[in-house]
Amino acid sequence: MSKIEDVKALVEAGKSKKIAAAVQEALDAGDKAQDILDAMVASMSVVGDKFSAGEIFVPEMLIAAKAMSKGVEVLKPALASGETTSLGTCIMGTVSGDLHDIGKNLVIMMLESSGFDMIDLGVDVPSSKFVETIKANNNVVLVACSGLLTTTMPALKETVQTVKTAFPNMKVIVGGAPVTPEYAAEIGADGYAPDAGSAAVKAKEIIA
Amino acid sequence: MLSIKQNLLETIKGGNPDRFVKQYEFLDIIMETPMELALCPGPGTEIVNSWGVTVRWPKGQIGSFPVHDAEHIVLKDITEWRKYVKAPSVDYPEERWTAAIEHVNSVDRNEKYVTTLVAPGVFELTHYLMSMEEGLMAFYEEPEAMHELIDYITDWEIRYAKQVIDHLHPDALFHHDDWGSQISSFISPATFEEFLLPAYKKIYGFYKANGVELIIHHSDSYAANLVPFMIEMGIDIWQGVMSTNNVPELIEKYGKQITFWGDIDSGKIDTPDWSQEVIAQNVEHACRECGKLYFIPGASQGLNISSFPGVYEAIDVEIDNMTKKMF
Repeated sequence: MSKIEDVKALVEAGKSKKIAAAVQEALDAGDKAQDILDAMVASMSVVGDKFSAGEIFVPEMLIAAKAMSKGVEVLKPALASGETTSLGTCIMGTVSGDLHDIGKNLVIMMLESSGFDMIDLGVDVPSSKFVETIKANNNVVLVACSGLLTTTMPALKETVQTVKTAFPNMKVIVGGAPVTPEYAAEIGADGYAPDAGSAAVKAKEIIA
Repeated sequence: MLSIKQNLLETIKGGNPDRFVKQYEFLDIIMETPMELALCPGPGTEIVNSWGVTVRWPKGQIGSFPVHDAEHIVLKDITEWRKYVKAPSVDYPEERWTAAIEHVNSVDRNEKYVTTLVAPGVFELTHYLMSMEEGLMAFYEEPEAMHELIDYITDWEIRYAKQVIDHLHPDALFHHDDWGSQISSFISPATFEEFLLPAYKKIYGFYKANGVELIIHHSDSYAANLVPFMIEMGIDIWQGVMSTNNVPELIEKYGKQITFWGDIDSGKIDTPDWSQEVIAQNVEHACRECGKLYFIPGASQGLNISSFPGVYEAIDVEIDNMTKKMF
């Protein structure tokens, strides 16, 4: 197996204690940092697809994301010269009135693994905070809003519409247990995803 | 007309009930029991519970959450769990049991089950202590330590169970532990089988060996992939079964071994703008789809309460209506 294939396998298996050495071995063997990063992104895409299909569960996604994160740390000096191809900045939060964070955190991991630079606003985030954060950051290409409670769906609508009013060209993706594609369209979102795995796929699609 | 208890037994044993069971009518939950619930008393409050977990219920929210920032998290390193986790004592002064015993003595056990409540449960306690992400990853990254922690929690549950049984002689146990999101179980069936099945076989086995006739497990989630384990560990009724589980299919496949209580998702009916009409539609759908046996219609939320006033009672009204239509 090539060194890059080793790295891919370790990300998919969530081997965060072994990944750093494997990434270093790949670099030492002459593999380009960007190629290694692309391989890890591809692994996380496989992980996301498996999660969407119900083949793996939240812990496997978490440890895979952790492994990727540790692998990226080793790559960072090699990538610092500007080789990275970031997809842009994505701002994400759970909307006002909702404290659930595991879904949001999973989506953040998957989007980061896909190449977005993520800003995590946390939970119970007022719509104004989304707007302030867009203004304060460069190259924001996407806003992602999460809501688990039926009772906070009005807040989801308010957030999407507040962002769109302030930034008519900003792309917004929404998700969460009570959210449907129909509701996402009704409130003016550009995209909807039923889970973290498909969120990354959809996010790349709507900013393209 | 069958008594409440008789009707419940006919429903769960596949006999001849004469009406739908109305949610919690067959349980008299002894809330005066000394207990170590992890939850906050109400909106706008914050507590540190007996395990040291800070739990906060912000105003305007419909429930409380454990706080896991660096300042508040209890279990900082699973490999050193003994340093951080100290189970509360189960040796309550005798006077703490007085109110509970009085309540128990007032219950007609021919009509209702004297019921003890335990929450948050083994799995949920692990992530209350260390956060959801760390808790879930620990199953994979530090399995030995997680086994030890779960054994420690299980031992505490059984010691607590002994106190409750010795003082109150309950007939039923209502035990909380959320095992999934709305669309999937939190952990794989294989991980559940390795870590949680043995724990719950011990806990539920202890209760059943000491006079408890009925084990009701609450998990308002998807958990269809865990039903064989629920049966193996001795659960008689799974309360909180959400519609995402395809409850009619579960009843057909497993109904003779376990009863399903729910199929009315609280998120759809328990809202600030709730209506009798929407509740009626959801109750009718559940009753017609799931049928009269091995099924108790009810909101997925635990306990005989609702987030918005009136909803629980409104569900009871519609269950009565479905009894008139279907029996």
